Amino acid sequence: MSDVHPSLAQCAVVATAFKLLLFPAYKSTDFEVHRNWLALTHSLPVREWYFEKTSEWTLDYPPFFAYFEWALSQLARHADPLMLQIQNLGYDSWQTVYFQRLTVILSEVVLFYSLHKYVQNSSQKHTAQVAAIAVFLSPGLLIIDHIHFQYNGAMYGLLILSLVYSQKQSTLLLSGLLFAVLLCFKHIYLYLAPAYFVYLLRAYCLRSMFSIRFANCVKLGFGLAVIFGAAFGPFVAWGQMPQLLSRLFPFSRGLCHAYWAPNVWAIYSFADRILIYLAPYLKLPVNQAALNSVTRGLVGDTSFAVLPEISPRLTFVLTILTQLPALIKLFVHPSPSTFISTLTLTAYSSFLFGWHVHEKAILLIILPFTLIALRDRRHLAAFEPVAVAGHVSLFPLLFTAQEWFGKVAYTLLWLLVFGAAFDAVAPPSTHQRRHLFDRFTVMYTAVAGPLVLYCSLVHGLVFRERLEFLPLMFTSAYSALGVVGSWIGLLVVFFED
Amino acid sequence: MSSSARTSHKPRKRRGITYNGSVVEANGQRKPAFPLAAFLWPAKGLSLWFVLPSVLLTVALFRWATGLWTYSGYQAPPMHGDFEAQRHWMELTIHLPISQWYFYDLQWWGLDYPPLTAYHSWLLGKVGSLIEPSWFALDASRGLDDSLLKVYMRGTVLLSEYFIYIPAVVVFLRRISRLESVSSWESSIALVAILMQPSTLLIDHGHFQYNTVMLGFSLASLSSMIAGRLRWACVFFVAALGFKQMALFYAPAIFAYLLGSCISPKINLSRFISIALVTVLSFGLLFAPLLLGAIYDARRGITIKGATNPPLLSVLPPLNPKAWYFAPIFQLTQSIHRIFPFARGLFEDKVANVWCALHTFHKLHIYPQVLVQRAALAATTTAILPPLLILLHRPRKDLLPLATATTAWGFFLCAYQVHEKNILLPLLPMTMLLGGKGGLAAPVRTWVGFANVLGAWTLFPLLRRDGLAVPYAVLLPLWAWLLGLPPFSLSAYRKSERGHIGLLTKVVHLDVYSVMVAWHVLEALVPPPEGKPDLWVVVNVLVGAGGFGLCYLWCLGRLLVQGGYVAGVEEKRKEE
Repeated sequence: MSDVHPSLAQCAVVATAFKLLLFPAYKSTDFEVHRNWLALTHSLPVREWYFEKTSEWTLDYPPFFAYFEWALSQLARHADPLMLQIQNLGYDSWQTVYFQRLTVILSEVVLFYSLHKYVQNSSQKHTAQVAAIAVFLSPGLLIIDHIHFQYNGAMYGLLILSLVYSQKQSTLLLSGLLFAVLLCFKHIYLYLAPAYFVYLLRAYCLRSMFSIRFANCVKLGFGLAVIFGAAFGPFVAWGQMPQLLSRLFPFSRGLCHAYWAPNVWAIYSFADRILIYLAPYLKLPVNQAALNSVTRGLVGDTSFAVLPEISPRLTFVLTILTQLPALIKLFVHPSPSTFISTLTLTAYSSFLFGWHVHEKAILLIILPFTLIALRDRRHLAAFEPVAVAGHVSLFPLLFTAQEWFGKVAYTLLWLLVFGAAFDAVAPPSTHQRRHLFDRFTVMYTAVAGPLVLYCSLVHGLVFRERLEFLPLMFTSAYSALGVVGSWIGLLVVFFED
Repeated sequence: MSSSARTSHKPRKRRGITYNGSVVEANGQRKPAFPLAAFLWPAKGLSLWFVLPSVLLTVALFRWATGLWTYSGYQAPPMHGDFEAQRHWMELTIHLPISQWYFYDLQWWGLDYPPLTAYHSWLLGKVGSLIEPSWFALDASRGLDDSLLKVYMRGTVLLSEYFIYIPAVVVFLRRISRLESVSSWESSIALVAILMQPSTLLIDHGHFQYNTVMLGFSLASLSSMIAGRLRWACVFFVAALGFKQMALFYAPAIFAYLLGSCISPKINLSRFISIALVTVLSFGLLFAPLLLGAIYDARRGITIKGATNPPLLSVLPPLNPKAWYFAPIFQLTQSIHRIFPFARGLFEDKVANVWCALHTFHKLHIYPQVLVQRAALAATTTAILPPLLILLHRPRKDLLPLATATTAWGFFLCAYQVHEKNILLPLLPMTMLLGGKGGLAAPVRTWVGFANVLGAWTLFPLLRRDGLAVPYAVLLPLWAWLLGLPPFSLSAYRKSERGHIGLLTKVVHLDVYSVMVAWHVLEALVPPPEGKPDLWVVVNVLVGAGGFGLCYLWCLGRLLVQGGYVAGVEEKRKEE
């Protein structure tokens, strides 16, 4: 078997060069969020971290991430000590920008290492390498981490490493513990926890359905206790847990996040919006108070004019209910490959039905799905709509004129190159293909171009400042359709096998 | 050849067997010889319709990302820089009657490029004004640094390049690859290497200029000659000259080839006449809007404010200012006066050519300017004479890129009034060698790489002033790495069966590469001694001038070998 060219390392070199050039690009408030965390972890004793509120961007990630920021702040001192002052709100000297951007790039070493491991441990080296490169060059990571500003590369690196370890019985414990560590870095990964829980329970703690492996239970329990103890122990001891949890889970926020993550609730809002016009003909009551709030779209919470309100409890119940079938299958057949599929489906449910979902959470679906998209052509067909929809739904994150070309061209290039590469290496399926689904994929992808063009150019020319929620609403309704479509596609494939 | 003559049926050469230098064989396995070949490895056998869009998107992204950085003169009052110059030309062309374009306020970036640049500015200014009129408000917009204006201006550079330069490069590579039977896959590798050339990227998309338009027209002229369309070659070359006078670096080579093809192998008078006619007509077309506009404005009674007679006008016999022909002649002489300001110095700033190097050791301003100008003329003529004679004697298509490169090197090294940015001119035809036969094999790749790395390195002092040190530090190493060059890889210099690299080349190249790296370290860490604040820049210029001299000699030597005047190293070895 000859080597596959280009190698992951070669791609990483070019990608890194490109990311270095993005230093002066637009950066969102997340940049200031992380600067503030550098400052507060550096200047304050640990006890005060979760109470500090000089900046509105208070610390709302779990303690391991705070420790990570503290470690970075030790280096930041040498770049520019002024960025470490809590009072220095909005400080962004070039040293600060270079330093923070550089730490994002360097922290991707974790992702690189995980993907390298993934290729090494995989039996199909060629397809694994294509998938690994696709993940490393993901437009989602580029837009969110290297322009918008976050540390997802490192976080998803931990997740993928944990997934790699989950594929072998001998490293299952490590996989579980690594996931626990990840949770203590960023709690958004709780969305994936049900799949981990069922898999570890069945594959690691139980021998068969009804016999328990006590030694394994003890090992796992002890490991988890140590990890969570290291993260939360001090805060428990200081009696700060209620404060910490209120920071991590701000339930007072609305159903839809500012930019309308492309999920079921986006479609729901879209339907509500249309029903406002249809209500007089259908003789439906319209809630006048909600009208203004819906048009805003940009503001945190939405309320509905025609359709019934959605409660957090309902979203929670729906999320669990839609996850159950896949989790039951995983419990019955706890194979490593079923695990990653289930994990992806778990992410789908959380994303589609969750409360106040961020559009950035789409990576929870796309990145694990990329690793299984090349199993066969059916998986690939289910993957394509979410690859298009997920990335298009991230476009509104970057709204500046300067970044427009970059986000569109990079995503287009990725879709073009990996569309062709995936198509070339995905093996044919043993099952019959569903032509209906293939047609959907083609038609769906074809709409993306005109939509992006409308939202970024035509709308502005026609309406100027008016109806600015409209492009956002179209984008998320369109993207939501793709995400739901690919979810159904994966469900079909999953239960067919 | 003799064997093919004997058999009536000659089997067609199978594609992909004879590689152009981007593939090495090790242990019976084919491997990419350098990282760029690895990136295009999956594209083997793929249609150009897929490869080309991917390549164009990739290089566009690097251009966009470079454009995120600052440009020359960003927030640097009072005069700002090239960005302001280009913006100002858009401002003045859309607001002033055409007859005043070449007369308006010389002190604030007066228009001193040929008419095609003026028309281009007019178009971009018109379109830009539709978006935001305040960007180009007359006089009020001077020194503007609005962030959206920057996006617009960067966009116009990208679009101009994608309309002119990139099609020209693609077409040139297609023609040269057919001429020298290079596979389309390896032609694509050369395409990426050419489009990722760090100097062009940094100057046009970082520093801010529209050089690629002029370079694109020049390249279109060369590829028309390769295609045998000599009249089109004239049109394109007039366009290049009409966009930026610096295309003069190529003019002698283009002229020599055209003339050579009219006299060799036999004298072809009708071809000569048609070429001459087309050239004159193109020039006429180029200046027509300006001159007709001048006549029209004169008839409307628009007078040119504060205009002094252009010096060229005084050379002519006295003219009647009332006559209809006075306005266009006045206009013409003024535009020529603006475009060729002979009053400027021998070289601008620090530039890595012969004069600036000499000046370091022996001050040149003690001599009268006329003498120095004559010396420059003599030196340039001597330097460009050999390639010109070769082209006249053997006007062969395959010699064109080398001869043009040699001529441009001669100009860059010896001519009067050279900018450091003019390095793009010799680099273009030399880099195009990558697309020719054996272009990606070590002997050519090392030299083309050497010239490009050295060229970008001599631009560093300028780029740093523009706030482009980081893009420089990213794009130059990236390019060197992609092409498997030092300091990242010595593989091209190792002994291999394909292509021989002389010991002298090895020693010189590796020495210069080490000097460049060491220079960056010293320049960053050691402040120059008191009284010699320019020490590092001077060292840069001296090393650059020496290296460029070697590039000139290499091009000339290769031209002599390829032209069949001298036996090359490889032929000699074969004979042995």
